[in-house]
Amino acid sequence: MGTPQPFVIYPARRVITINPAFPFGEAVAVAGDRILGVGSTDELASWGEHRIDDCFAEHVIMPGFVEAHCHVMSGGLWNSTYVGYFDRRDPQGQLWPGCTSIDDVLERLAKAAADMADDSQTLLAWGLDPIYFPGERLVARHLDTVTGDRPTLVLHASGHLATINSALMDRCGIDETATSPGVARGGDGLPNGELHEPAGMMLAGDAFVDMMKANRSEQARWRYANEARNAGHTLLTDLGTTQLWDPDQLNNWKKVTSDPTYPARVMVAMSNLFGSAADPAELAELCVQLKSEQTDKLRFGIVKLILDGSIQGFTARISWPHYYKPPPGHIGNGLWLTAPDQMADLVESYHRAGLTVHCHCNGDEASEVFIDAVEQVLERHPRWDHRHTVQHCQLTTPDQYRRMAALGMCANIFSNHIYYWGDQHRDATVGPERAARMDACGTALASGVSFSIHSDSPITPLGHLHTAWCAVNRVTASGQVLGPDERISVPDALRAITIEAARQIKMDAEIGSIEAGKLADFAVLEDDPLTADPMALRDIGIWGTVLGGVLQPAQISDA
Amino acid sequence: MSTQRLPVTVVGGYLGAGKTTLVNHVLRSSNERIAVIVNDFGEVSIDEDLIVAADSDKLTLANGCICCTLADGFAAALMQIRSAGTLPQRLLIEASGVADPTQIAAYGHTPGLGLDAVVVMADAEQVRRQANDRWVADTVRLQLAAADLLVVNKIDLLDDASKADDLCDWLAGLSPGATVVRASRAAVPIDVLLGPLPASDAVDTPERPALERAAASRSHVVENLFESQTVVLDAPIAMPIIESLLADLPDGVVRLKGLLQAVPPASTEDASKTEAADTTAYLIEAVGKRTSMTPHPTDATQPPPRWAISLIAHKGALPPNWLAEGLARRG
Ligand SMILES: [Zn+2]
Ligand SMILES: [Zn+2]
Repeated sequence: MGTPQPFVIYPARRVITINPAFPFGEAVAVAGDRILGVGSTDELASWGEHRIDDCFAEHVIMPGFVEAHCHVMSGGLWNSTYVGYFDRRDPQGQLWPGCTSIDDVLERLAKAAADMADDSQTLLAWGLDPIYFPGERLVARHLDTVTGDRPTLVLHASGHLATINSALMDRCGIDETATSPGVARGGDGLPNGELHEPAGMMLAGDAFVDMMKANRSEQARWRYANEARNAGHTLLTDLGTTQLWDPDQLNNWKKVTSDPTYPARVMVAMSNLFGSAADPAELAELCVQLKSEQTDKLRFGIVKLILDGSIQGFTARISWPHYYKPPPGHIGNGLWLTAPDQMADLVESYHRAGLTVHCHCNGDEASEVFIDAVEQVLERHPRWDHRHTVQHCQLTTPDQYRRMAALGMCANIFSNHIYYWGDQHRDATVGPERAARMDACGTALASGVSFSIHSDSPITPLGHLHTAWCAVNRVTASGQVLGPDERISVPDALRAITIEAARQIKMDAEIGSIEAGKLADFAVLEDDPLTADPMALRDIGIWGTVLGGVLQPAQISDA
Repeated sequence: MSTQRLPVTVVGGYLGAGKTTLVNHVLRSSNERIAVIVNDFGEVSIDEDLIVAADSDKLTLANGCICCTLADGFAAALMQIRSAGTLPQRLLIEASGVADPTQIAAYGHTPGLGLDAVVVMADAEQVRRQANDRWVADTVRLQLAAADLLVVNKIDLLDDASKADDLCDWLAGLSPGATVVRASRAAVPIDVLLGPLPASDAVDTPERPALERAAASRSHVVENLFESQTVVLDAPIAMPIIESLLADLPDGVVRLKGLLQAVPPASTEDASKTEAADTTAYLIEAVGKRTSMTPHPTDATQPPPRWAISLIAHKGALPPNWLAEGLARRG
């Protein structure tokens, strides 16, 4: 056979393979879209005719990062203006400094309004997180001072609220006669522009619909992948779409991923929640069908279920003593989004079709119900290596981790929460003790549960070095360490963002480590995460990625 | 063009309580053109013989009704309904088996819509267990408490009448203010579910005026559980009379609906001299703890509606002429 084909050798400062049998190399050789081998330049050269490319000589090469839980919406939202509290980089590489005061938010909106050519066009913004502005409240009156007559809608980070200005209230007929409980009122008894929950937000009409429609465009899909490339990711899991019944949406995915320059592989997980036209049997059938047609860059085979709400929204299902300091009028516990009684039957439909079920479980009641369902289904229909995964897994208890290990389940842990909401979890949602054992990577590891960590972008920014930093340091936004005993080592965190994430989406034979024969997907880093200060993990620069042998330099455009 | 609000009925209740059976029953039995919004088609199965056309996000039914999902949110579903041709006369929203009906009812406050009632179904055999279940006790209790009309379904599965009475008493305690009605196979009389009079005079066709319709459906109203009373009004009524009627309706009243001309309080002192111009048309409604009195725009180009008040009560709960006498006594 001899040389497979002319190939390229990339010498590097170090190649971190995440293959325990051959952990490091001096260089990696790429033939076409595959890894020919890893080792020394001389060893690799002995394969035959080759070219040496020194472009990564000063860089550290790792397996491309694998995000097992995010959403294509994170590409669509960048059609709107970012007004979140934390710095965030858009897919074009521009840094948007966090808006850390209401004045910052207004200033950002004023600039966005000034940049819009058409006076009648609605100004859309996203990411507002009032939890960081205690005592103050952004209302229509504030927005009016900078937006004037231009209709304006600001979506909150939680996704459960929006604030609109007076012009948009006028256009939508929201006035003192409004009877909807979703229309918030100020001290004067008049609507203040805040719209709560879907029933309130829908009153914003087209403005809200337009914002959501942007998530379905081809441009959103490109931005989604561009953001991944900038952060060192080569695979994204769009965890839970109901739209694959729409041939346009499916073709849209096929079109972008078949473009050789599209900078990510995408696993599209299907969901039968929120109005899909499917019953579980039909959904399973479609998913199996799509799986048989999948390509290297567009994958299927996962079904997403949702059991409960969110912890910071006080809607996750948490066992007694429930919430620590819930807001006044709270009903006591969170909400079920799927009936627990239905879970075993739902899981069974997908399990029997050979698919993998990933279930959103924030609270420990939710994880218990999902684990129970998997256990029942396994009794009825034993199946090895299903890799059914608890998603978010934020309050999963040690006994639940032991059961998960016994049942062959995986965990995808929402480590970013420690940084973004850890202070709120300690002080308000679950209290100090339970906050200290949230997002328990240490327990998962000790229990022998295969786990990954995730961003759930756009909920928190995509970027596995940051997510790994959270799991390693467990430092909150205020700089305190939350639950030091659940911290994991840097090597364990690096496994979680590569091979373990690949494993839970059943792609670990192809990606997740640098080994001969696997796809040539790399994250190319400016520094070595294994020798850097663990607190500096998230600051390591990212050159970009290599995807199937194609160089994908990050786009960073700091002015 | 009518500015009357489209009445919204929310159907809630835990998994298996019979929501889908109820929706099918309404679609089959009502004379109204109904648009149904469901959480997803996976959970709800509209009886196939009712469907004339189906695509991924909309079902068209033989009697002019349509069925949409919340796939793209409520706003999109509403747009789809409004663009589907003839406007519906009622919106029925089927909540998911774990939803809090109060939250779904919030959609009934969308401009152009008006919440008519929250109907919550309970499975007579299962509801006690569900209301004490490890996982869903709070969810089920929240649902029951949200009811205006609490339908205790599958009542025929209980072996004796005293068990049914106990159950209904216990449920009434969990749902203060709700009207509890019993049913088998979700066969609640349509007039109990949707009200004894059409909510809007737009529903009246020359061939079938409202009261005639109500009379026609009375035969199945009765079914030895309910009875109805109707008073036709030949003159406007003073506002305080209506307010007092709505304020102390006896427990036996299941539903009350009326279309009437009321004389505003300011001019009641001299009601006899009231000119038509001083009166306003109102739609009054009562179901469970929910009572409402809303101005009812009338179309000057159309013949005036028949002014009347109808109620449905549990059989034997009220004296035969309670409504007529009650109005006379207050007058
Ligand atoms: Zn989730
Ligand atoms: Zn998610």
